[in-house]
Amino acid sequence: MKNKLFSFRVKKLGKDLAQNDRLIINALKYGISIVLFLLCGSVLILLQGQSPIAALEAIFQGAFGNKMAIGNTLRWTAPCIMTGAAAIVAFKAGVSNLGIAGQVTIGGFLAGLIGAFYELPPLAHITLIIVVAGVAGLLWSVVPAILRLFFNINEFITSLMLNYVANFLTQYLTQQVLAGGLDSWGYVNMEATPTVLSSAVLPDLIHGTSATLAVPIALIVAIAIAFLYKYTIQGYELKQVGENLKFAKVGGVKVVKQFLIIFLLSGFISGMCGGIEVIGTYKKFNTGFADTMGWDGISIARIAELNPIALIFVSFIWAALKAGAMQMERVISVNRLTVQIVQYLFVLFVSVDYEGIYLRAKERRAKKQYRKEMESVA
Amino acid sequence: MDKPDYILQMKEIRKTFGPLVANDNISLNIERGTVHAIVGENGAGKSTLMNILTDIYKADSGDIILNGKKVVFKNSLDAARHGIGMIYQEFMLYPELSVYDNLILGFEEKKLGVFIDKKACKKKIEQICRDYSFDLPMKTLVKDLPVAILQQVEIVKALYRGADIIIMDEPTSVLTPQGIQGLFRAMRNLVSSGKTIIFISHKLKEVFEIADRITVMKDGKISGEVLPGEVTENQLASMMVGRDVILQANKVEVDFGEPVLSVKNLQVKDKDGVLRVKGVDLDVRRGEIVGLAGVAGSGQQQLVEALFGLRAPETGSAVYFEDTDITRATPRQRRCMGIGYVPQDRLGAGANGQSSIWETAIMGYHVAHGFKSRFLLNFRQIEEFTGRIVDNFAVKCQKTSDKIRSLSGGNIQKVVVGREFLQDNKLLIIEDPTRGIDVGAIEFIWKKIIDLAAGGVSVLLISHELNEVMQLADTIKVVYEGQLYDGGAHGELTEEEIGLIMMGGKSDEK
Repeated sequence: MKNKLFSFRVKKLGKDLAQNDRLIINALKYGISIVLFLLCGSVLILLQGQSPIAALEAIFQGAFGNKMAIGNTLRWTAPCIMTGAAAIVAFKAGVSNLGIAGQVTIGGFLAGLIGAFYELPPLAHITLIIVVAGVAGLLWSVVPAILRLFFNINEFITSLMLNYVANFLTQYLTQQVLAGGLDSWGYVNMEATPTVLSSAVLPDLIHGTSATLAVPIALIVAIAIAFLYKYTIQGYELKQVGENLKFAKVGGVKVVKQFLIIFLLSGFISGMCGGIEVIGTYKKFNTGFADTMGWDGISIARIAELNPIALIFVSFIWAALKAGAMQMERVISVNRLTVQIVQYLFVLFVSVDYEGIYLRAKERRAKKQYRKEMESVA
Repeated sequence: MDKPDYILQMKEIRKTFGPLVANDNISLNIERGTVHAIVGENGAGKSTLMNILTDIYKADSGDIILNGKKVVFKNSLDAARHGIGMIYQEFMLYPELSVYDNLILGFEEKKLGVFIDKKACKKKIEQICRDYSFDLPMKTLVKDLPVAILQQVEIVKALYRGADIIIMDEPTSVLTPQGIQGLFRAMRNLVSSGKTIIFISHKLKEVFEIADRITVMKDGKISGEVLPGEVTENQLASMMVGRDVILQANKVEVDFGEPVLSVKNLQVKDKDGVLRVKGVDLDVRRGEIVGLAGVAGSGQQQLVEALFGLRAPETGSAVYFEDTDITRATPRQRRCMGIGYVPQDRLGAGANGQSSIWETAIMGYHVAHGFKSRFLLNFRQIEEFTGRIVDNFAVKCQKTSDKIRSLSGGNIQKVVVGREFLQDNKLLIIEDPTRGIDVGAIEFIWKKIIDLAAGGVSVLLISHELNEVMQLADTIKVVYEGQLYDGGAHGELTEEEIGLIMMGGKSDEK
């Protein structure tokens, strides 16, 4: 065929990745991240005059050493999965819901109220609390969703700011309006709502540990999200909206409706998480209990690359580090925030654009090759 | 005669992309202080040549001689430092920054090597504006300005960066007639103060008005170099589009039925509020292929968007599909009625690059045809439909769960086209179905379109390839400046005649 051309568009370099490249990139990504993670952790621990090996041992002991430790790890796994699921739902569909912490707070607050002031048979009480907490989180997420849809205000900012509103609002209501929580010495506890009634307490999963039924509930949520995205038409449309809005629109997907659904679903899961935390672990609403939870969820979702099943495993490891960190602090007096620091550093390391770096290196090599060939010709 | 003072010479530039020869040993001499126009159809190789000049691409072979010295650029920034400035069709400006910040970005005058010397920057910009009589609102944010001003910002930016040669890629396609006159005034000013302009266009009228010298490109080669006074518009048009027909679509005579799509006085504004479709009337009958030819940016995009419900038309417009008023129907409703759409932007709107083949293959199908259950994806049905596309359209892929990006452009296009063609649609709106794909795939898709129409499906084909419209369409319409002009029935007018209407040459016969 003659080299006549009709029209052409040039393929951008490196758009098509071979299977091989993908493997190398992933190996690079997790390999480098873990090495840097251990390195940073070791340096921080050495700076505090302790041995990193001993620290690691303490962490392992604290996370898996005995029944209590395993219970602790599982206890932290539940909220990690739930907030992670809330983040995944939103991010997969291209919605930046940074308001998870606020939605958790509002859900937790309402759970505290209903748990303490309404009397109901146990199962009904717990169910009601979880549903109301979910709806509360959902309603809290309506605000940024509406601002985005009708006034085109980026949800990135609004949802983030509403975290503070939620935090201070519940703090105000707890301290100034309720101000009735009594602590174990009979003094007024200004930082929490009254302890919930026994009918509202979420039963334990493993007796004598802090792991409650929150764990199986969280697992169900994660699996439900996986199912939603893998097997339902709704999930298919949500994914397409998130990955290519124009494509979905042209295909006849109701983009606005889907956007709203995403936000509400994400808010519902967050609110539910708040409610479960309150009636499962704390038995009362402590102000500011959700402070780091939202970010934990977002970080975990990021590491799990928005895969709901991977989320379960990442949450487990994340929770093990959390539980282990406390043990480490007790045993070898290394500040437990050290672990949190390296945990978040790990998220940074994983988020580096390894694909871009790899491709650029590849391109540069090709260019050099080209130059050399040109010179050898000339 | 004196030896001409060439500021830039490109010698024997050759660039290939796989089997495509985009630039076939092109030599070009640009004289200092002139407007040198390069004209040619889409895909003639103009953009590639300019991208080589600005070092976006590396040439396979050939030399660039600047001011009599051979140069090899390290990268595009290096090209800019050598005084080559490019103004793209899509402006490279940050909407949230002020004009001033946009101008100096990346090329700030510095104090102590760290701090921005705002005074020096400002002085330099003021000097430029005075010298070339530009008047720009320095403090206004770029997003608040009309396109004509943005273009001036781009020109000043190029000058600020020390450009001696300014390349303008289709600069008039975004401008109103007044804006064009303003641009031409600015171009004349620049040239009279010693700058050189390379003007890329395919609007012949404009080229005749502004250019000192015209180079015509066709199929990756230079097909002629003329002075504007030497030739007529007609001759230039034939230099541009006249070529042997490579592909011949065999059309059968058919009788058309009643109108399926009926458009009355359609008016559509673009996102900036400029009226781009100015009262279009159009009928597409059953089994008919209506082809819309036209230079890019004549309003086709807005027309199609309105026809598929992606952009709301102005009041007074009316669109009927089989006697149902669909002027305000959503894309979802249109799909359920049996209207299919092949968008121009393959990976932007036709497919989801991050998705698997089947995910792209069932988009729209899942809306119009659905599955047994309203909630669950039916993977057997998905596999069946995707398989039908793969078989009928000879898509080369290993399994349908592969990423769509792993396919070649032609195969992606086959998936997109197949998806719309195999849904028993009554009307298909097809935009540039063969853009950027190889000849084999083009022929294949052409044949499918003709088969479809023979089976009673109505087709509205919008293409920037004149040849495609001429080969396929039963009835040809030409879009020019947001209005439709008659292009005759199949084979009635020659390529040159239609080409002239496309460029507004003979716009009297409406």
